[in-house]
Amino acid sequence: MKKKNLNVLIIIPAYNEEQNILKTYKTIIDYNNMNKTNFDVIVINDGSTDSTEDILTKNNIPHISLIHNLGIGGAVQTGYKYANINNYDIAIQYDADGQHDITYIDKIIKPIIDNQADMVIGSRFIKKNKDNFNSTFTRRIGIKIISFFIKLKTGKKIYDTTSGFRAINKKIINEFSNYYPFEYPEPISSVWLLKNKCNVSEVQVKMKEREFGKSSIHSWKNIYYMINVILSIILTHRRFKWYLIH
Amino acid sequence: MISNTLRIGILIVALIIFISVIRLIIKNKMPVRYSLIWILSSLFLSFIAIFPKVFSKLANLVGFSVMSNLVIGIFIFILLMITMFLTVIVSNQRKKINLLIQELSITKRKIKWFSVKKELYKWK
Repeated sequence: MKKKNLNVLIIIPAYNEEQNILKTYKTIIDYNNMNKTNFDVIVINDGSTDSTEDILTKNNIPHISLIHNLGIGGAVQTGYKYANINNYDIAIQYDADGQHDITYIDKIIKPIIDNQADMVIGSRFIKKNKDNFNSTFTRRIGIKIISFFIKLKTGKKIYDTTSGFRAINKKIINEFSNYYPFEYPEPISSVWLLKNKCNVSEVQVKMKEREFGKSSIHSWKNIYYMINVILSIILTHRRFKWYLIH
Repeated sequence: MISNTLRIGILIVALIIFISVIRLIIKNKMPVRYSLIWILSSLFLSFIAIFPKVFSKLANLVGFSVMSNLVIGIFIFILLMITMFLTVIVSNQRKKINLLIQELSITKRKIKWFSVKKELYKWK
């Protein structure tokens, strides 16, 4: 793939992000100006109840406003459908809250340009750098458990299973625009790709960690969530269209 | 208290429920979240079949003379809960459908307005 001629779309799912969305959008525009890149942006307003919609219209930020909240899976799939209709070569999922660092975008799309991967995940912890992340202990255990079950199901170890900073190529854009997991999309979509013999790779990135004060290991909601994720990973089944299996 | 044939029968029913639910999940016809109550019910049934003595003690404690009445009672309760839950889900879906109907109708009018406007422009 030639880099200059690539159509790249950055998909930003946003739910009640009135505080961050303008700043996040501006960092991408600034990046485009500074590096002479041409990344397109589409914000998916997932039925926000705050002034997100106002901010998007008043600042001319390209966006799609969902008439009802769908959740992260539905919002991101809307972005993929948009990417598919408009023939983008690469689609990148990017957080609206400013946690993701735009300067890593080249690192993330490079394996796709080089045809080394179908999906690239921006991972917070591939190498065991303890100073690279400061999630809570519970959260890290949760991610390790999910990682274990993904390895059990697919044979491949994914280090950052819940990272929303990921890029996919055109084939996968087409596939996901038809079927995308609405529940636990990040781990399940990785499982789908791996079970369909697609290449998934991880690159090390840095993110600004959010405060995560609420969860505790005795919280029933978390155990319920973990049971659901683990069962979903074990039982999920999705076969891509035949021409994708190489 | 409970015959061995009945215990095997209950186990078979539990197995059928369990396998049906797993198949539905794999075929993406039931999300994992909704399946949990069914999986737990089939595990509960298996528990009764494998340890009937524990359960008949519980039945006497609660006031049932026959253990099977407690099982039926618990199952009716579980089914009622599931039905109530389904009612809520259906109501939510009705709300979403109403929203879709309204938004789509308004959008249709907008499209009609634009195509009429384009027609007018053509004749100029």
